Amino acid sequence: MRRSRGVRPPRRRAAAVTATAAAVGGALLALAGCGAAAPRTPAAGDSVDASPHRCGHGWRHPRPGTHTFALHNTSGTVTEIQLTDPRTGAVLGEAEGIAPGAVRTMRARLGAGRYAFVCFGEDADPVTGPAVRIPGRTAAGGTGPAAVPLTAHDLIPPTLDYQQWVTTRMTRLASATDALRAAVRAGDIPAARTRWLTAHLAYARLGAAYDAFGDAGEAVDRTTAGLPRGPRDSGFTGFHRVEYGLWHHERPTTLLPAADRLARDVRALRTAWAGTRMDPADLGRRAHEILEDTLRAELTGRTDYGSGSGLATTRAHVDATRAVLDRLRPFLRTRYPGLPALDRRLGRLARTLDAHARAHHGGWTPPARLGRTERARIDAAVGDLTERLASVAALCDVRRTP
Amino acid sequence: MRPVPRRGLLRGALAAGTAGALAGPAAATGPHGPGPHRPSAPRFHGPHQAAVLTPPARATAFTSFDVTAADRRELAGLLRTLTDRARFLTTGGTPDPTGITAPPPDSGLLGPDVPADGGLAVTLSVGASLFDDRYGLAGRAPRLLRTMPVFPDDDPDPAWCHGDLAVQLCADSPDTVLHALRDLTRHTRGALQIRWRINGHTAPPRPSGAPRNLFGFKDGTSGPDPRDARLMDRLVWTGPDSGEPPWAAGGSYQVVRLIRMLTEFWDRVPLSEQERVIGRSRDTGAPLDGARETDAPRYAHDPTGEVTPLDSHIRLAHPRTPGSEAHRLLRRSYTYDRGTDSNGTLDQGLLFCCYQRDPVRQFTAVQKRLAGEPLTDYVTPFGGGYFFALPGVRDRADWYGRALLA
Repeated sequence: MRRSRGVRPPRRRAAAVTATAAAVGGALLALAGCGAAAPRTPAAGDSVDASPHRCGHGWRHPRPGTHTFALHNTSGTVTEIQLTDPRTGAVLGEAEGIAPGAVRTMRARLGAGRYAFVCFGEDADPVTGPAVRIPGRTAAGGTGPAAVPLTAHDLIPPTLDYQQWVTTRMTRLASATDALRAAVRAGDIPAARTRWLTAHLAYARLGAAYDAFGDAGEAVDRTTAGLPRGPRDSGFTGFHRVEYGLWHHERPTTLLPAADRLARDVRALRTAWAGTRMDPADLGRRAHEILEDTLRAELTGRTDYGSGSGLATTRAHVDATRAVLDRLRPFLRTRYPGLPALDRRLGRLARTLDAHARAHHGGWTPPARLGRTERARIDAAVGDLTERLASVAALCDVRRTP
Repeated sequence: MRPVPRRGLLRGALAAGTAGALAGPAAATGPHGPGPHRPSAPRFHGPHQAAVLTPPARATAFTSFDVTAADRRELAGLLRTLTDRARFLTTGGTPDPTGITAPPPDSGLLGPDVPADGGLAVTLSVGASLFDDRYGLAGRAPRLLRTMPVFPDDDPDPAWCHGDLAVQLCADSPDTVLHALRDLTRHTRGALQIRWRINGHTAPPRPSGAPRNLFGFKDGTSGPDPRDARLMDRLVWTGPDSGEPPWAAGGSYQVVRLIRMLTEFWDRVPLSEQERVIGRSRDTGAPLDGARETDAPRYAHDPTGEVTPLDSHIRLAHPRTPGSEAHRLLRRSYTYDRGTDSNGTLDQGLLFCCYQRDPVRQFTAVQKRLAGEPLTDYVTPFGGGYFFALPGVRDRADWYGRALLA
C-alpha cells in the first residue's frame, strides 16, 4: 500500500546531479551579489576545491561565523566532500555526488577551532585537506551542530539484528493470518474481526512503512489507491481488502478467497524477507517514516476500511518505531542530544493511547470521531515525533569516513 | 539562530532599494509616522504588535490553533519559540545550518536566506479558552475576552470557530506567508495543533482609493486614522486605565469573522439595489449623496433615508452620530477564496478582522446595529473567533506573553 520511497532521490548516486549543480551555481552568483549589498549575508563564500588532488584548497578567509562554501569539483570524476573537525572526526557539513566541473554550496557555522575538508573520489582512498584554524578562545563556541558519521560498518550489525527480529515476528504474523482465515472459513464474523485486528497489529508492529517490504508488502497492506474499480477491483488484496469485507457484510463466497489470499501473501512475504538483505541505510529512515505513515494514513482515516482501528495501528507504530530506535540507541547516545526528550515523547504518546484504550475497554475510536481536544493531542504528539525522528534519520544515514 | 545585526543598519540599506516598490503610500507610512527609509514590514519590537495598525498587506494566512502543550512550562517554551521564530522571520537572516544532524533548517521557499524585505508581519493573539484550568491562567484573562457568540444572522460551523491561540501572517506575497507558516508550525509541532486556517488577499486599488471587495464595492474607505496615536489609544489599545490586568496593557481585542459572500447571487442583483444595500456608488465608492469616495455622507440632510437607506450597510455600520464615534473600530479585512462548495457555487468571502479596545462597546454594538440589514441576504458568517492580540515584544529579552506567565 505504501508510497514508494523511490520518490526520494537515492542517497548515494551521482547520476543526474549536473543539472542541479548548474542551477545551484546560478543561485550562488545571486548570493554573491546580494552579499555585496548586505554585509551580514554569509560571506559570499570561499570557493573550495572538492577534488581529491586539491582537497580543501581555496579556503582563504577562515573566520568565526556562518560560511557558505562554493565546493568546486575540478577533477574528472564524481566526488563527495565533508567538512570535519579532525580532532573528533565530527562532520559539520557534506555534499555528495558532485559531478566533474560542478559547483555546490554548503553552509556551516564555525567557531574557534581547527577544521579540515575531506574529499572522497570514486573508488579511491579519502584525502584530508589542509587543517584550517579559526582563531579564538573557546574550542566549540559558536560551532554549528556536528556529529561523527555512521558507516556501513557501524550499521550492519544492528541492521542484521533488526532483520532477525522481524523474521521472528513474521512467524507470529503468519499464525495470526491463518487464525483469521480459519474464523472467516467458519463464518464467525465477530471472531474474524477480532482476529483481523490482532493480525493487522502484528503486521503494523513490524514497521512496514513506505514500501519497507516491497511488492510482497504491497500485496499484504495496500489500499485502493491506484485501483480503477476501488474496493471492487480485483487488484485489491491484503489486510484492508479483508477488513472491507468484514465490516461491509460481504458474502463468504468472495470474502473467503480474500482471506485465503492474505494468508498466502503473508507467507510469501515471510519467504521473500528471509531472502532479503536489508540496506543498513534503511534503519534510520525506518525509524522516521513509520510515524510519517501514521500521520498521513492512520490519523486521517485514509487506511480505515471499516474497522476504525487507526488508533490501535498508531499504538502499534509506536512499538515499531521503538523497535528500530532500540537498535540505533547506542549510536544516538553520543550523537543526538534530543534522545532523552524523544524517548519521553514516545512514552507520552504510548500512555495517551493506552489510556484511551482503557477508557474504551480495549476498543478504539476512529480518529475522526474523537473529541477535538483528544484528537488534537494525539495529532500533535505524532507530529512532534516526526520532527524529532527526522533528525534520527539524517544522523543515521550511511556515510564514508576517512 | 544566528544573531541578526542591528536592525537600523540593515533596514536602512534595504529600504533604500525597496521602499518605492511597496504597496503604496499607506504601507510606507508605518505606525510611527512616515520616514524616508521605511521598509514595508513594521518593526518587530515595540509596545504593540506592529501589524495591528499597518494597512492590510497583499497576502495573509489566519491560523487558529489548539494549544497542546502539556503544562505551563511547555506553554512558556511555546511562546518563547514563537517569539524567536517571528523575530527571525520578520527581520530576515540566514537559517542556522544543521549539517548532517538534521534535515535542512529552512524550507527554502524564499531562497537560501530569509529576506528582510518580504513585508512579513506576525500577529499573535489568544482566545478565551487558553484561560481555562490547563495552564493556571484562570482569572488572568483580559477583562472582556469571551468566546465568540452566535449572532442572529450567523450560521456557524464549529470546525471554523474559536481557538486557544491564533497567528495572523501578513506579507507582500503568498510565498512569504506560506514560508512563515511552515516555519512556525515546524518549530512548534507538539505544542500547537492547527484548528482552522484561511488564506486571504487584498486587491490593488481599482482604479484608485480603497480596494474593492468581492461585491465590487470599495471597502475600507471610512476608518479611523491609524497614524493618530491618541485616537488609537482611545479606540484600539488596551491601557492601564481600561481595567485590564497589567500584563495586557498595549494589546487589543481582535474579532475575526469568516463571512461567506454569495457573489454569484449578488451578480444577479440590479445595480441600484446593490448600491442601496451598501450605501455607496459602486463605480466611484462615493456615498450616495456625494461625488467622490472621500466625501462624508450627510445623513442629517436625509433623515428618512430617501437617498441613503436607513438600513444600508454603511449607514448602520457608521451612522456618524455623536454617540457612534466611540463605536468605531479598526478594520483589517481580507478577501478569501477557497474553491467551490458541494454544488459548484463559488466559496469566497471576507476574512473580516477588526481591532478595538472594547469588543462590547465597539464590535458588538456595530454588529447589533447591522442585525437583519438587507446585506445579510447575500452574506453568511460561518466562523472566526474572539481573540486578544498580545502586547508587543519589547526587546530581544522579551517574549510574547512573558508578563502573562510571570
